[in-house]
Amino acid sequence: MNIAGFLSSYPGMYMAQAFCHSIIAFIVIDRAMHLWDINNPLLRQRFQMMVVLLPVFSFPLYQLINPDRGSVSFRLGSLFDVNRWLHLELWGTIPLGAFFLIIIFITTVIFVFQEMVPILLHALGSKRSEIESEKPEADSVISKAIERLPVEKPDIFVLDDEDFVLFSTTGRKAAVYISTGTMHALNVDQIQAALVHEIAHIARNKKPLLLLVFFFRVIMFFNPVALLEFRKLVQEEEKICDDMAVRLTKKPQALSEVLEKLYNKTDPLQGGSISEMKEFVEDYSHNAHIESRIIRLEQGMVHQAGGEWYKLIITVTAIMGINYFVV
Amino acid sequence: MNRKFLSFLYFALTVAMLVVMLKVANWLPMAIQKDTMRRYSSIEDVKATLNIKDIIVPSYFPQNFAWPPAEIFAQDKPFTAVIMEIKHSLKGDVALIIYQAESTAFRPDEKIGIVQVRERVTYSLKGRQVALVTGVCKNDEPCSRLTWDEGKYRIGITARLLPPELTKIAESMIP
Repeated sequence: MNIAGFLSSYPGMYMAQAFCHSIIAFIVIDRAMHLWDINNPLLRQRFQMMVVLLPVFSFPLYQLINPDRGSVSFRLGSLFDVNRWLHLELWGTIPLGAFFLIIIFITTVIFVFQEMVPILLHALGSKRSEIESEKPEADSVISKAIERLPVEKPDIFVLDDEDFVLFSTTGRKAAVYISTGTMHALNVDQIQAALVHEIAHIARNKKPLLLLVFFFRVIMFFNPVALLEFRKLVQEEEKICDDMAVRLTKKPQALSEVLEKLYNKTDPLQGGSISEMKEFVEDYSHNAHIESRIIRLEQGMVHQAGGEWYKLIITVTAIMGINYFVV
Repeated sequence: MNRKFLSFLYFALTVAMLVVMLKVANWLPMAIQKDTMRRYSSIEDVKATLNIKDIIVPSYFPQNFAWPPAEIFAQDKPFTAVIMEIKHSLKGDVALIIYQAESTAFRPDEKIGIVQVRERVTYSLKGRQVALVTGVCKNDEPCSRLTWDEGKYRIGITARLLPPELTKIAESMIP
């Protein structure tokens, strides 16, 4: 099948329109969050979810409403017909659609190797091997840190490791793992803040919403906008858990100090190899994210959950209205 | 004006600006590439602009089918395609759609959409294998579609007609 034929087929139209719809959703949502000063990470995450979610349904939904939507006369009267650009030929030979297919291919490769393969390897690895750890003593600093917290406490395990290690696992055997190195580096308040942040992750993962969003993100495997927005959405999750931790411990400074210890100053780019550049970009991105979390904790930008649904409804209505005429 | 109202006003303006930008982005490729799908006023206009010489038109029309076509759409990129919409002179709605395209994936307007297919048959007409689909359109009107390959083109005719009349139109298009 040639490029024009593929782009005129239903899978081709779905991919091209989902791509355009997510760009428009991204622009409208970005502007809406800016204009309405939406800083609450929970709200921001709800808005960002729409960039991943809406393009999954938009094309089939619009086709259901109006099967004539793909017709020539509808396209001629539409706001934006992506095929006009995709069929545009550079130097009279190469259609832009070829570049679009290359972008889709690269996005798919990134999705498979950066998202799916690590998840599958992790799932397989965690089935095969048990993490060597032990429960903390009843009078240990960990027990003291969480004993008075009004939350359901998951299993907490101590890893014999001098590095700074702190993570949680979700699912049926949800647990928090903390290394001896982390325990030595932090005081009681800091350990409490760090543990409650991890407990917040476990509590949030009990809700099927995030799993559902990930499922939709998998459907959008080819969409570079969904790829970027899903990563931002995951970063927002960290801020949501920060807020939950601060609400419970009332110690934003302690959590901020924990993050400071996670923050590694990025070394200047040394060589020019792709792996060095990749490492540099990843470190830079990680540190920028941690830095923004520290700033908001220090500025007391902790938010209460929920509210302002009408802004989301207005934004989604605007996106759906525009996207109907984007074919 | 309070701040809240202004934020909603700015949001509405942003949406309006986006709509304008999309319109401009939609117009640009048509300005760059002249042979993309667009509306034409006559068959001669298509022939002159796109240099498509072999536009296949029927010589037979059932009564009250008004020639020339009410709408003509054509393109030469990414492949040649011509669509003609012919109206019923009394009812005023599109009664016949004829298209020719260099791609089998091309789908013209669904203005005459067969909502319920009754029969699909393939038979020979003047040495061509034609595929006939009969059924009903909206309002329970009988309608049918014929498609066949004529040289490099896929030809399709859809009409609010019974198969015998449609076959007569097709016969008049095959040399």
